Amino acid sequence: MKRTWLTFLAAAAVATSLLGAAVAQEAAPVVEEEVPREDVPLDTVAPAAPGALTARDYLDSNDAGDKIELDWELSPDDGAGSCDVAGYFLWRSRSASSPGEIVAELPSGQTHYVDRNLEPGAEYFYSITAFDGTNESAAVTCAPVAGRVNLFQTSRASILALMLVFFGLVLVFTKLAERGDELFVRRIPGLNAIEEAVGRATEMGRPVLYVPGIGEIDNIMTIASLTILSHVAKITARYETPLIVPTARAVVMSAAEEVVKQAYTEVGQPDAYNPDNIRYLSDAQFAFAGAVNGIMLREKPAANLYMGAFWAESLLLAETGFEAGAIQVAGTAMVSQLPFFVTACDFTLMGEELYAASAYLSREPKLLGGLKGSDWMKVVTIALVVLGAVLNFMGFETFVNWFRTQ
Amino acid sequence: MRREIPLAITFLVGLFMLVDFFVPHHSVSAAAEEMKQWGTIVIAASILLGVGNLIRVHYRKIRRKQDGWGYSITTLVAMSVMLYFGGPWGTIAEGSAFNWMFLNMQVPLQSTMFSLLAFFIASAAYRAFRLRSAEAGLLLVAAIIVMLGRVPLGQLLTRGLPEKATLPWLTETIMTYPNMAAFRGILMGAALGVMAMGLRIILGIERSYLGGEK
Amino acid sequence: MGTLIWTTIGAILTLSVYSFLYKDNPFYKFAEHLVVGVSAGYYLVIYYYNFIDPNVVTPVFQLRLGDQPIGFGSGAWWLALIPGLLGLLLYTRFFPKVAWVARWSLGIYVGGYAGLGISPVMQARVIEQIGANALPLTSVTNVLIVIGLLGTLAYFFFSMKHRGILGVFARTGIVFLMVGFGASFGYTVMSRISLLIGRVSFLLHDWLHLV
Repeated sequence: MKRTWLTFLAAAAVATSLLGAAVAQEAAPVVEEEVPREDVPLDTVAPAAPGALTARDYLDSNDAGDKIELDWELSPDDGAGSCDVAGYFLWRSRSASSPGEIVAELPSGQTHYVDRNLEPGAEYFYSITAFDGTNESAAVTCAPVAGRVNLFQTSRASILALMLVFFGLVLVFTKLAERGDELFVRRIPGLNAIEEAVGRATEMGRPVLYVPGIGEIDNIMTIASLTILSHVAKITARYETPLIVPTARAVVMSAAEEVVKQAYTEVGQPDAYNPDNIRYLSDAQFAFAGAVNGIMLREKPAANLYMGAFWAESLLLAETGFEAGAIQVAGTAMVSQLPFFVTACDFTLMGEELYAASAYLSREPKLLGGLKGSDWMKVVTIALVVLGAVLNFMGFETFVNWFRTQ
Repeated sequence: MRREIPLAITFLVGLFMLVDFFVPHHSVSAAAEEMKQWGTIVIAASILLGVGNLIRVHYRKIRRKQDGWGYSITTLVAMSVMLYFGGPWGTIAEGSAFNWMFLNMQVPLQSTMFSLLAFFIASAAYRAFRLRSAEAGLLLVAAIIVMLGRVPLGQLLTRGLPEKATLPWLTETIMTYPNMAAFRGILMGAALGVMAMGLRIILGIERSYLGGEK
Repeated sequence: MGTLIWTTIGAILTLSVYSFLYKDNPFYKFAEHLVVGVSAGYYLVIYYYNFIDPNVVTPVFQLRLGDQPIGFGSGAWWLALIPGLLGLLLYTRFFPKVAWVARWSLGIYVGGYAGLGISPVMQARVIEQIGANALPLTSVTNVLIVIGLLGTLAYFFFSMKHRGILGVFARTGIVFLMVGFGASFGYTVMSRISLLIGRVSFLLHDWLHLV
């Protein structure tokens, strides 16, 4: 039997690895010898002062106006010259007349520091000196600076801009679609296969298994999956095929119950709805997988649909389903699991195809418009990448840097 | 009214969370942080819904004496025992009965099921050998190269060859270039899908996942 | 002696799961139903002690936040009521007259998280990628990356037929996708086998003391 052959193969791999581990040896520890110290003459020369100091309000995602960032240039004796800079002292005071107190000791080579827990709006005077362990250099000062509370994170401007472009495109095309413009959508074989799969299950008199992934309800993949479930439930209601929906999260289970009940009611078959078929199995990933495998072997569904967020258990489900002889359609945006679904399932919806499913299956103009908007956004992205590549090549890096946000 | 108020609240909450990303003002950040914590509480509170469903399904199975009802008894008994040990009169600290059951039943069972993947990945690879199309062939070749390149066997097989023909180098290159470029592309497309769907949810256009009346 | 009982139980359960590879059998059915029951009880207890108790029960009923007493005078205690209430509202689904409340509290929850997720996704998957992939086409690797990205994006064009230039790019995209999937597949093989080694080592070393 094929399984037995594979078991021997795996056992051989295990035995070889265990043998290898037993044979490996540990490296001997290295002991260092101490180098005797000689007497050094006392240093009386101070290092050169650091370069220009600039201070400005520090903007991050939680801004109370209480942080200031400082940048300075390295002292000429830091890493060059007399090479004896051990670090820098950062001084801060509330008035221009006194240097104030040391607020930070920074190692050599550092040119940036963020001072926190300051009073918002208060003016501070900073200066910086270099020291070599015994002597301190002259101080370099900068103009007074005050922290302020900001209302917009300017480093994220590119994100906002492109997001507005995207939403604009989606809304424009949605309006166009509602107005009655015909919108073309290319064939997605996986989605066409869903109805076929349900039909096959009906012919064989066996149930359809729909696994909405193990993501929580706030995972957009799960929402997309519930939308597809609604369509699938309508088909199974019409054909009077049992639909089993095992879930790994309590809220997803209740949402699935609502969705399926609603679908059966809309098709006019409210009595055909069987609440015992929407089951919560386990929050534990592999307990869930094991229990779904059990359903596959005992209730023998002829069509398995895996739509949503999956992690490592994806292959467990898909392989068992394959061995049980079901036709399988998978859809996920988890790129780490796509290889396994592609190998083990008959059709796989990859990434955006999962999100496009609700538009594809319902053909609602509003949703189709959203797809077209999305496509145009991809055109915009491609144009920006190409433009950025060309500008980069010519040496103008500012454009591309606008996209490197914090 | 029944519809307008929840729609408005959904829109405001969604918009607020979206805006939090761009507005660094500390009161906005603090409020958003607090609201993010709430999510976990809502989900935790709902666990009873799942457990209730579990109890109902298995209890019906036992009562109707359907196929496999004996195992349903196992499930209900196991759950009751765990709840008994973990209840307010017990403790869930290390060394307690609750913890013991977790460590000696749940953990070995889960780890073993996880390890079944070793067999399944082998049978999946074996089946991929029967090429269905040129694309599957590409998948297969790339898989073999990377698989071998990651083990000492791969280094051994191509030891004498120039660097660019050795399996480990090929593995490294395939993982870095085509792999990365392709995944970036999928993720970018998926991101647009997520954003469009998120927008529809906030605006209240996407409501099919809620069920109920339209 | 105590350890032997524990490891034996673990070993029996391990072997019960492995028997699944041969075919479905009473041992596997027992193990599967056992783990479902144990995990249900486990999560119920853990969710209560880790989330509900510290964040809702303690602040509201015991008027304490951890060790700090918080009376009706201080602002913090009522905040805990909101998520607790939202969670409780989910249970109204069992009462047909007010079932719509459950649906809407779920809608608000999902709406909030949708808003939360949109911008970081835009940042990490779109903006940062534009920045990272706008590479000058000076080396083979840069060309590979840019072509791979453009090809994959072309494959995901839904509203246009994949013909002509778009078709060429889309087919290139599929090539990159398949190579990428194959690489991921091969990369994961060893880590899965090491999981098996872990379990076999438990059986042979911890239980039978053979190795």
